[in-house]
Amino acid sequence: MTTGQLMPLMIAIPIVMACLILAAGSYLPRVVTDILATATAAGVAGMAAALLIHSGHSRVVTWLGGWRPARGVSVGIPLVADPLNAGLALLVAGLVSCALLYSWKYMESVSGRFFALMLLFLAGMEGFTLSGDVFDMFVFFELMGAAAYALTGMKIEDKTAVQGGLIFGVVNSLGAYISLFGVGILYSRFGQLGLPQLGAMLRQHRPDALVIVAFVLIITGFLVKAAMVPFHFWLADAHAVAPAPVCVLFSGVMVELGLYGAARVYWVAFGGTIPHADVTRAFIVFGALTAAVGAVMCFLQRHLKRLLAYSTISHVGLFMMGFAVLDDDGTAGAALYVVGHAGVKSALFLLTGILLNRYGNVDEHRLYGRARGDRLTACLYFAAALGLAGLPPFGLALGKSVTEDAVAVAGYGWAPVLFIAVSAVTGGAVLRAGLRVFGGLGPRPALESTAGAGEESTGGEEKPETGGLPRTPVTMLLAIGILLAGSLAAGLLPDAGQAFAHAAQRFTDAAGYISQALSHAGAAPPRPDPAVAWTGEGIGLDFLSVALALGVAFLGLYARRLPAALRRSAAPARPVIAVLRQVHSGHIGDYVAWLFTGIASLTALLGLPLL
Amino acid sequence: MSRSARLVVFLIGAGCVAAMFAVAFFKMPAFGGSMHLYRDLAVPASVSHYTANVVASVNFDQRAIDTLGEETILVASVIGAAVLLRPAEEEAEMRPKAVGRTLEATKLAGYLLLPVTLLIGLDVVLHGQVTPGGGFQGGVILATGLHLLYVTGSYRALDRLRPLELFDTGEAVGAAAFAGVGIAGIVVAGNFLANIVPGGTFGQLLSAGTVPILNGAVGLEVGCGIVVLVAHFLQQDIIISAQAEQAKPGGSSEPQAGERVGTAERS
Repeated sequence: MTTGQLMPLMIAIPIVMACLILAAGSYLPRVVTDILATATAAGVAGMAAALLIHSGHSRVVTWLGGWRPARGVSVGIPLVADPLNAGLALLVAGLVSCALLYSWKYMESVSGRFFALMLLFLAGMEGFTLSGDVFDMFVFFELMGAAAYALTGMKIEDKTAVQGGLIFGVVNSLGAYISLFGVGILYSRFGQLGLPQLGAMLRQHRPDALVIVAFVLIITGFLVKAAMVPFHFWLADAHAVAPAPVCVLFSGVMVELGLYGAARVYWVAFGGTIPHADVTRAFIVFGALTAAVGAVMCFLQRHLKRLLAYSTISHVGLFMMGFAVLDDDGTAGAALYVVGHAGVKSALFLLTGILLNRYGNVDEHRLYGRARGDRLTACLYFAAALGLAGLPPFGLALGKSVTEDAVAVAGYGWAPVLFIAVSAVTGGAVLRAGLRVFGGLGPRPALESTAGAGEESTGGEEKPETGGLPRTPVTMLLAIGILLAGSLAAGLLPDAGQAFAHAAQRFTDAAGYISQALSHAGAAPPRPDPAVAWTGEGIGLDFLSVALALGVAFLGLYARRLPAALRRSAAPARPVIAVLRQVHSGHIGDYVAWLFTGIASLTALLGLPLL
Repeated sequence: MSRSARLVVFLIGAGCVAAMFAVAFFKMPAFGGSMHLYRDLAVPASVSHYTANVVASVNFDQRAIDTLGEETILVASVIGAAVLLRPAEEEAEMRPKAVGRTLEATKLAGYLLLPVTLLIGLDVVLHGQVTPGGGFQGGVILATGLHLLYVTGSYRALDRLRPLELFDTGEAVGAAAFAGVGIAGIVVAGNFLANIVPGGTFGQLLSAGTVPILNGAVGLEVGCGIVVLVAHFLQQDIIISAQAEQAKPGGSSEPQAGERVGTAERS
């Protein structure tokens, strides 16, 4: 078997296993279903690892059904793996494995269907990651969606769960249809759907209105998935209600896949025609806005899953800025950042799931001091929270320092300030919640809602996802341990930085991608890989953001005890916060209106400079 | 946002998007032009695999993985509907009493059309490689045929003749078979979803290699999937809402409303 043949198997095997569990689910004992599903995901992870090793030498290309291209065009669909998307495929399968491991004893009432949906979700994500065809990406994007909507609304006894799933479904489907329009417009002109063929054709093409519109429409769907402001509203509503292991996949990798899709489509298909400078400007604006809005909203939450969800939005904004500079350093930093973030954020969601099952809600205020005796959970929580704030040697800290440096070098000198502020505020919010829940620190918070109109959800009425567990099962803790270890490994393994640099270098080499996919030529002599490693300055800034995060956390805990004069100085921020809260209304109509405004702004940012 | 604020925000955005579409549409090649790259590639490719229906060749041979993805979307949607429509803890399932009357003419038409519809469905599935149609269309026709029972008789008649477990399994088997044919392609020809079956005679029933096999798999999956999907919606509407009827103040007492069959007992 060749490595090329592994790629379709990574899609087909989870589908077959999902069907098997669906067909035989009611006859199989629960433990067999658990093991089958987890082993399938782990097997896919093994295949992804083999693919990653191979793609390090040279891209792996397979034209499905043997429909190879002739003279640069083809009727078929290629799957193409370079180290970046092979690594992403490994991250997907690894997170699904951990989520499934955590789910043993989970969701008793729908176990077979839950596992089948998780495996179909895996198949969708792998297909999206590996595909080298813009319509095929759309198909797997929809498969991810179909599975994800149902997984979100799983807890039907809770009306907000169904509502969250509905919002997620409507907004994401709308984004997907807009992408499909873009694909159609592009196809009408070029008669091809494969990224390498389109890239080769567009390279000799002036970026006229059709090309710009097609690009904007295609990436709109992906940016909806990536939760860029103002496409981001669905994310918090969906995360707040989805079961914890599902949140792991949403925050850890599904949202990031949206960014990957946008970056891949740009680099390979449109990179030769739409000027880099315009795309950089547009993506930096969207990324910075997303990071800022997400961080403020994160700090305002007391519903723990919602808090973590806004922190994800905020971090995706930072990843976006890394990709936006469109060079090797920024891409390597962002990829490393994504992996490091996936580990700690997933661990935090699973820990929240444990709190929910143990204490019956996820409200920071209601849980005040409740988990004081739970030492092991507390240790894991604070390790992950500090990791989120940027504590070395977690991979997140390395990714953050490389990315902020790359964005600053690209001419955005203010970027490190934003990166540190976002890490401090989001990390601080998570630490604040932890200090209240596990430490009982600060004055006892009020239980009734203090917010005015607009979005406010306390998490007090969240339904547990397991029948009351006397103690936390070992499998749950094991899953959390693996996730944290993964994030540490990304920062600690001596060659990790270099591997990410190499992956980024291959990812940005669009000409190599096109020629290798179309003619099976060997890899072009690679450019030198950028240097990605810990630096003294980077570590210093990481520690600064951790210190600031602790400051923010204690400020959050003891704000009421500050002198009145100091508190009054925060008054100008109140109207801004009130508006932000009101904008996040939970109303689907509002979200759709913002979505269209977002498309218009993206077009303006990309199209106006070309007039 | 208030209603009018939402409308203003939406209209501004949607106006810009409409303008974008207009600009892009004017740059698109005119409809019905003679130049088309993909057509020029797909027709010879289809003929080379003895497939008279080029659309079937594109869907089940040249771009077969798209179709694998699409039929898997259907599987995920059906499971999703089953999960979301399952009876909640506080909901009870009621068996509805046979009420209402069906016109004799409706019954007769239904019973006459039932075998005809099933035959047409099978025909559409089997001839997907030579004429318009195939597994998706035929599967929907097959599922529709079965629901003529609901029109002609009662929900009970449909319920008896429709063992859901069997259809659940059929759906899973159909979906897995598609992926299985793909994997067989790797084993036999070294390529996922390669057309590994001998091509047969162009334009005849036995032609196009794996296309009719994949059409059959999709037909099974779609037919069963739609039956399961509709079943869950009917169940939600007829069985589970029966309790709401009964809970209404002044509503009839329990034995008259229906026979109680237990709480959330379905798997």
